[in-house]
Amino acid sequence: MKRGLPILLGVVTVILIVIAWFQSGGAEAHELQAATTPDQAVRLMLSQVKAHNFDAAYARLANRDDVDKNAFIREFDGSNGSLLTYASMESFDVWGLKTNEQDATVRAKLHYSTAVGPLDDIRDLKVQHTGDTWKVLWPVSKAPKLPPQVIPVNYLRWDVISRGASDDWGVQNVDSPQVRVVSMNAIQRPDSVVLVGEVVNEDSVPAYVNVGATLLDPSGAELAQESSFDKISHILLPKQVSPYRIDFPNMRMEKIKSVRMDTKALLVPASADPVIEVNQQKLETDALGKKVLSGQLLNQSGSVVNIPHVIAAFYDSNGKVIWVSDGYMAQALLPQIPLPFAVDLPPDVAKNVQTYRVVVNHYDSTSQS
Amino acid sequence: MSAAVRYSLLILVFALVVCAFAVLHLGAAADSEVPHVEFNADNIAPRQIEDLTSKSVPRDYGFAWQTMEQALNENRPGLLDGYFTGLAKQDLGNRVKSQIGSGLHTRYQDRGHKLEAIFYAPAGDAMQLRDHAQFDLQVLDGDKVIYDEPVNAEYIVLMTPGADRWLVRQIQAQQMQASQGEK
Amino acid sequence: MNRLSAILVALVLAVAAQAAEIHPPQQVTAGTSITIPTSGSGEATFYLIGPDVASKKKVQAGSDISVESDSLQLAGRYVAVLCASDGCASSNFFVVPAAPNKLSLLVHPSRVPVGSANGISTVAFVFDNFHNFVLKPEQVKFSILPKDAKEISADRGSQNGVAWVRISSAKKEGPVRIAASIGNANEVRVVQQVAAEACNLRIKASRVKNAFLIETDPVRDCSGNSIPDGTVVSFTKSDSAGKTTVDVPIKRGVAKVEMPIDGRARITVASGVVTGNELDVAGGQPQ
Repeated sequence: MKRGLPILLGVVTVILIVIAWFQSGGAEAHELQAATTPDQAVRLMLSQVKAHNFDAAYARLANRDDVDKNAFIREFDGSNGSLLTYASMESFDVWGLKTNEQDATVRAKLHYSTAVGPLDDIRDLKVQHTGDTWKVLWPVSKAPKLPPQVIPVNYLRWDVISRGASDDWGVQNVDSPQVRVVSMNAIQRPDSVVLVGEVVNEDSVPAYVNVGATLLDPSGAELAQESSFDKISHILLPKQVSPYRIDFPNMRMEKIKSVRMDTKALLVPASADPVIEVNQQKLETDALGKKVLSGQLLNQSGSVVNIPHVIAAFYDSNGKVIWVSDGYMAQALLPQIPLPFAVDLPPDVAKNVQTYRVVVNHYDSTSQS
Repeated sequence: MSAAVRYSLLILVFALVVCAFAVLHLGAAADSEVPHVEFNADNIAPRQIEDLTSKSVPRDYGFAWQTMEQALNENRPGLLDGYFTGLAKQDLGNRVKSQIGSGLHTRYQDRGHKLEAIFYAPAGDAMQLRDHAQFDLQVLDGDKVIYDEPVNAEYIVLMTPGADRWLVRQIQAQQMQASQGEK
Repeated sequence: MNRLSAILVALVLAVAAQAAEIHPPQQVTAGTSITIPTSGSGEATFYLIGPDVASKKKVQAGSDISVESDSLQLAGRYVAVLCASDGCASSNFFVVPAAPNKLSLLVHPSRVPVGSANGISTVAFVFDNFHNFVLKPEQVKFSILPKDAKEISADRGSQNGVAWVRISSAKKEGPVRIAASIGNANEVRVVQQVAAEACNLRIKASRVKNAFLIETDPVRDCSGNSIPDGTVVSFTKSDSAGKTTVDVPIKRGVAKVEMPIDGRARITVASGVVTGNELDVAGGQPQ
């Protein structure tokens, strides 16, 4: 009996360790050491990446001589304060696209959990059969590097001195900016009602804008209240227009009699830089068969945009906003270096899209906007 | 009767007593309900009142009176933070502090308000109102009632919009006409 | 004799038992001290309850009670209570506002586009020295003090302590001073008159290195005022590579952007809800 308890504890500990090993993907990693198929090679490499064991992941590459290890790590861990630096890989899906005896193409969908919600990254990876194992042929990064230089910026910035808290009521103050909702369109989606439209800053000063909406039933009672949250470019410079989208989950259009829009604008310090060009915009079908608006962002200023956020408004032939999509970019937007983007839109909406317009939010660790 | 049954009965009686006290206490708390406010904006000028504002002004004015009555009864100046601002909050706060210093408190039995909007600033940032209020007023020194009278008073009120409600910025009682004189 | 003695004793007792009374003035001007006569005898407690005061002090019933002006600054309803051993007597009185001598001046908006008819709202709340609403009608003088023109002024009567006026903005941008005065009070606010919407927005293209420089003419409103720097101008280019958009703030009066152009392209420009001309560029040359 005296020996029974230590033995029992020992057995339980071993069982727990085994469970933990299975849970952490150790079994999968061990099983895939051999990498007898292209899928397995990718799975093994991504398991190591997920476990932050970058040395082991890097060892699975077929072209280590061509790939800089730090650049490889930055692909997953992010850099320059990008969204990936505030993210962790939660899981991944892998499936083969084509295979022959010597090489194969495998598609990997990486699921990240980030500070702004889930983020998916889809990559088509080449896999090579070398000896008796498959190894990943990592794409050699050809990201252009900007030569050291001075980029002159004619810096334009607004600062605000407001009335102090202790000042009397009725003394001189600066008013909140005048903003206006220029369009609003209510759309029934299968699982929700969505309000889309545009808002303009009509003032001569920058505004921090938020658009809210309250749905009213035929008796005038409130059904639901929501705001645009991050589906809007909050900082609007003078005369700048932003799309907005407000989602009402589990709502039916038949219940709604009217909508009360509520636009709040605050006077905030802001900078007119960086100017971000959005080029090569086109509607196309992506590798997964989804309709997307793709393009490139080009930061014309000299500072890094840590987390670019793309918001696109889609219009029908009458110029009415029929959808608003948005997406955060995983990579930071470096000065003068194009960064591709793509935001998707529902297929039933896509067939009615006549034109579109993209605005870019920028979250920078060095500025307030 | 077994001991278990006796103890169960005792617990049941104790629970009933606790419930009775709770009901009594809730009854006392219900004294401080939101006063009835009858709102009229027919003569408002120069800006027309918005639908939402015409609902929120009487609602918030009622809440302001409720919190003021509670603050003056319980001598809790913090209650004034919700619906008063500027000089109204400062003056009523001084009144509460003064009551605490003198050992007094004031009890209201509110009998309703007829609130009339008379001026709404063109920019929508201030509204002036006239309130015909009726209430019974008791002033107590400790537990002793030193003043007890029904009051029929008229107030000029200035309200300004806050983040999510209208706030009383100034409330000033004025002498009523002889025909409407105070009781 | 016994009967007479009994009546005398009863009379003396009746006089001695006379309840204390208090007689404040019916109306007091804010910020003035008063004396309140009382009747009765013996020790008593005097209470004064007003909008910002609830004081208590020991007094001698039958003597005059002085109330300092500090306790009577706020206009409103006051209650004076005198409690003696035989009970409490009370009386109400009103403190009314003193002469007007302060203004709260609300001027909105603080920025207004030029040429806005009745675009500036000016509201003056009339107060006395103690910040009581002066409710009886008073004349408030409103003045407009433009930068390069003569002062314009007009009087408006107050109602319930409020006087107001609407003012149109000028055709030329720049600050305008708006003032209101009464008694010793003279409040001034500054309103910035800013350019209205862009008018006749035009762009032109010129070649630079491997791209085109698209530039607006100086952006002005219909009165010729320069649109402020920082105002966003949106350029859109459509060519075979797709669509390119860029929001550019005006700097030093113009907005400009460099765009690489392949083949034929159409360039449009807009600022807020105002659109400008379209430009067709082909074969690297503007058409």
